[in-house]
Amino acid sequence: MFLTRSEYDRGVNTFSPEGRLFQVEYAIEAIKLGTTAIGIRTAEGVLLAVEKRITSPLLVADSIEKILEIDSHVACAMSGLTADSRTMIEHARVEAQNHTFSYEEPIPVESVTQAVCDLALRFGEGADGQESTMSRPFGVALLIAGVDERGPQLYHTDPSGTFLRYEAKAIGAGSEGAQSGLQEQYHRDISLADAEVLALKVLKQVMEEKLSNTNVQLAKVTSESGYQIYSKDELQAVITRM
Amino acid sequence: MDLAMQARPMEAPIEAHNHNRWSPYVDNGGTTLAIAGADYVLVASDTRQSDGYLINSRYSPKAFVLSNNAVLGTSGCSADSKRLYEVLEQRAQLYQHRHDRQISTPALAQLLSNTMYSRRMLPYYVFPVLAGIDAKGAGAAYSYDAVGNMQRVTGVCFGSASALIQPFLDNQVRFKNQRDADPNRLLTREEAFKIAVDAFTSATERDIYTGDYLEIFIVDAAGAHKEMRELKHD
Repeated sequence: MFLTRSEYDRGVNTFSPEGRLFQVEYAIEAIKLGTTAIGIRTAEGVLLAVEKRITSPLLVADSIEKILEIDSHVACAMSGLTADSRTMIEHARVEAQNHTFSYEEPIPVESVTQAVCDLALRFGEGADGQESTMSRPFGVALLIAGVDERGPQLYHTDPSGTFLRYEAKAIGAGSEGAQSGLQEQYHRDISLADAEVLALKVLKQVMEEKLSNTNVQLAKVTSESGYQIYSKDELQAVITRM
Repeated sequence: MDLAMQARPMEAPIEAHNHNRWSPYVDNGGTTLAIAGADYVLVASDTRQSDGYLINSRYSPKAFVLSNNAVLGTSGCSADSKRLYEVLEQRAQLYQHRHDRQISTPALAQLLSNTMYSRRMLPYYVFPVLAGIDAKGAGAAYSYDAVGNMQRVTGVCFGSASALIQPFLDNQVRFKNQRDADPNRLLTREEAFKIAVDAFTSATERDIYTGDYLEIFIVDAAGAHKEMRELKHD
C-alpha cells in the first residue's frame, strides 16, 4: 500500500487524487512507534499513565518526561516524537496563562485542547505573510487530561488536528492491545484507585520490559488538587496493589 | 535712505489661545449608580446627555445590557461609553463562541479592567460600573476608574452627581457613620430601588447635568429587566 503512494506523498500540503494528505497520515503512523500512554477518566479525576523505555542501564530514568503540566488543572501525556510536543505544550501553556490573565479564571479543558489542535495544521510554507512554525506535521499524539466546571475530561489529539473526547484511551506502540484491554475492563463508575491499578495492568500487558517504579510514570488531575505526579513511593504503592 | 522703505508691518504678538484648543475628551455629564444585594444587583442611570449648558439629548441611555445579562453602567464621555460597550459585547460574544459557554460576570469584570488598562496612554473617558450575578448567585457590582483599577463594591456612584450621591450611598447602603448598624447587611430589592429613585430625584434638583429620565436595571438569576421613572426636565 505504501508503494502506490508515489508522487503525492512528497509535498506536505498536496492532496492526492483520492483526496488524502499522505504526510499527515504518515505522521499518525509515527505515533505507533512511540511508547504507550494511557488515559482513564473517572468521576473523581483523570489518570494518566505512560511507559518509559529505559534503553540503557546508564540512562537516568527521571530524565524521561512524558507527562507534563499545562496549567494547575490540565496535564498531558504524549506518544510519538516527543520533541515535537515542546511547541504544542508551550502554546497550550501560553494560551492557558493568557486566559487566566484576561478573565481571572482557569481555561476550560476543551479550549486548551482546541488551542493545541489549532497548531497541528500550521505546517508547510504558510500562507502569504503568515509565519508557519513547522515544515512538516507534528509527529506526536497527546492525551490531555483536565478538570473544569464540566468535570473531569480526557481528550485525544492527533497530528491531523482532530480532537476527540474519551472515557479511556491508549496511544503509542501498544495502543491496540491496550485499547482493547481498556474496553474490556473500563466501566463508567470506576474509582480513581481502581483506575490506577487498571492503567498499570494494561500497561504491563503491552510493555516489553518488566514494569517497575522507574519505567512507568503516573499522574492524576483531580477536582480537589489539580495536577499531581506520582512520586516513586506512591507509584510503588500502586504497583503492590496490582 | 527713505525711512518708509525700512518700515515693516508690525508683527502681531503670538498669543496662547488655550480656550479654543481642541481636546479629544468631552464630558457629557450624567450619573450612574449600582447597588449589590444578596441575589440581585441594581444599576440606575439618568438619560440626559449634555455638552456644557446644552442638552444634546433627553434620552441617551448610558447603561447597557450585555449578552450575558450583566449591565454596564457608564458616565463621562458618551461616545467612549458606547464604544466601550461595543468592545465588551464583542469580546463577550467571542468568548461564547470560543469556549461554548456564556462569560461569567467576574470574568467579564477582569476583561473590562484589562480593556481599560490597554488604553493606559489614551484612556476611554469612562467611569464604568459592571453589575451581574457571580458564580454563587450573589449580586456583584464592580467599579473602575478610567485606567482600569477594579474594585468589587456594594454601593457606588459615578458621574456629574457622584459627589452628591456617593455619600448618601455610603450612609444608606454601606451603613457608614451609623451607630448600631450592621455594616454587612445587604439591602432588599425594594430598599435598593427606593434609594436609587430618591438619590436621583434629589440629585436632579442640584445637578444641571442629571435629569430627564431614570433607567433602573435589576439583574438576578432570571436575567436583567428595566424599569423607567421620569425625572425633572429642567
